[in-house]
Amino acid sequence: MECRVLSIQSHVVRGYVGNKSATFPLQVLGFEVDSINSVQFSNHTGYGHWKGQVLTAEELNVLYEGIKLNNVNHYDYILTGYSRDISFLETVVDIIKELKKANSSLVYVCDPVMGDQGAMYVPENLLPVYKNKVVPLADILTPNQFEAELLTGRKINTEEDAIEVMDLLHKMGPETVVLTSTDLPSKQGDQFLVALGSQKIKKPDGTNTDQKICMDIPKVDAVFVGTGDLFAAMMLAWTHQHPKDLKTACEKTVSVMHHVIKRTITYANEMAGPGKRPTPAQLELRMVQSKADIENPALVVEAKILQKSSQ
Amino acid sequence: TSFTLPLLGFEVDSINSVQFSNHTGYSHWKGQVLTADELHVLYEGIKLNNVHHYDYVLTGYTRDTSFLEMVVDIVQELKRANPNLVYVCDPVLGDHGSMYVPQNLYPVYKNKVVPVADIITPNQFEAELLTGKNISTEKDAVEVMDLLHAMGPDTVVITSSDLPSRLGDRFLVSLGSQRHVRPDGSRTTQRVRLEVPKVDAVFVGTGDLFAAMLLAWTHHYPTDLKTACEKTFSVMHHVIQRTISYAHELAGPGRRPSPPQLELRMVQSKADIEDPAIVTEATVIS
Repeated sequence: MECRVLSIQSHVVRGYVGNKSATFPLQVLGFEVDSINSVQFSNHTGYGHWKGQVLTAEELNVLYEGIKLNNVNHYDYILTGYSRDISFLETVVDIIKELKKANSSLVYVCDPVMGDQGAMYVPENLLPVYKNKVVPLADILTPNQFEAELLTGRKINTEEDAIEVMDLLHKMGPETVVLTSTDLPSKQGDQFLVALGSQKIKKPDGTNTDQKICMDIPKVDAVFVGTGDLFAAMMLAWTHQHPKDLKTACEKTVSVMHHVIKRTITYANEMAGPGKRPTPAQLELRMVQSKADIENPALVVEAKILQKSSQ
Repeated sequence: TSFTLPLLGFEVDSINSVQFSNHTGYSHWKGQVLTADELHVLYEGIKLNNVHHYDYVLTGYTRDTSFLEMVVDIVQELKRANPNLVYVCDPVLGDHGSMYVPQNLYPVYKNKVVPVADIITPNQFEAELLTGKNISTEKDAVEVMDLLHAMGPDTVVITSSDLPSRLGDRFLVSLGSQRHVRPDGSRTTQRVRLEVPKVDAVFVGTGDLFAAMLLAWTHHYPTDLKTACEKTFSVMHHVIQRTISYAHELAGPGRRPSPPQLELRMVQSKADIEDPAIVTEATVIS
């Protein structure tokens, strides 16, 4: 497999978020990963302390120029995640447009990181940039419920709402949308959360079809950081292997998440000791230790197909 | 480093001293460098969270004396926090008779860096520079490695030399030396020699891969330099062979591959990195 990914995300010295979370798993699965680090921090911002430096939009442009001058600005995938800076995000958009001109088959996997549980944790003025410039270029989008609601201006209270929101997101650009987590009640009870996905596919005869799926995912009683970044990276990998089979791509992605998270929470609880809540340092994803699960995830979840209609 | 060591189960915290578009052997390169102050700030963040506990430190190419001096301060502090810490140092100064870093790095390496190193991986030129002694024979090389031991590191590998190989001129000679203290308190030194196939191409990053793999294999074989070197050199061989084959395919018949085409086939070499088939046998020398 000769597949090259450009990943523009954060770098932390210690721990697994951003590029640290995405790069090793993708390389283990055989992808060549070129990474531009949008920041270099000592660790993620959930620790007691964090220190480091950010890359400006100018500096990002300079790095891209270097790649371009050598005529190696050819990628099969682009992957982006957390960003706090409008001008940085707009420069990312320009780069993606240029890369899509260089390779019209390029797939842009976008995690539109804006917030969760009803609150934004990036500056508000990023929303119009995502809505008007970023999402229209995206091919695969991995919003959570809050981000999907923000982007479409529609609330999700039922499964029907979720389907409508995913269809609205398709209209904005991406052919593949995964709602990575929602508050919708799970049929398996309150120890589970509901995730949904939707993929538009063009059939050989020219007609459109779409596959919509939903999954019940076990909740874990801890705050993890970097899991969304791992999710987006694994969606890239598994949709690459299964480009017209969202069901399988999602089952593999969610299964990898499950194995990594379980290994992490077990280790974190061991480190913390009985009755104590693990610290952010103890909760860092057990990425290196999960190599076998990343390479070949045993399936632990079965996605349900909601509707498969032709127009 | 950041792919290969985690493949072998190591947790790697990485501080990037620069962010460039690509290495400086391409026609063009662009990017930003980290200052000594910025390095210090990153280390401060780690320290404030009380997670500045490491089993190994690994360093390579630097161009900046103040940056290198900051690295030395950090290594010294980390050794205070963990006296068992092993500092693996590639003293990158130059090759084939000329320096390719600023000259004023040389005294910093000699007087401050090498004394805190536990494992060093100089090439012949760097070993000669650090000790002030020329290597014309195997005996010279052994003396130079002993001089380097006296400066600090218990493990020294001269990664390549111009010494004539027993297998002919398609091979280069590498040597290693490791000091141990026996249970009875006496000292012993294991010395090895390897004949390594030459490859007709310029690779970049191979020295960095070498230092990382020597870290990994000396970790698994801490008192067996012979095996650690055989594994390390074997990994290098597999990665380089795969790379040169692919580069020639891309370049086409009769053409010299370009720097982008010669980038190491790291991702494709996963199985060889995890479990290298041994392709070279080290000779124990006295």
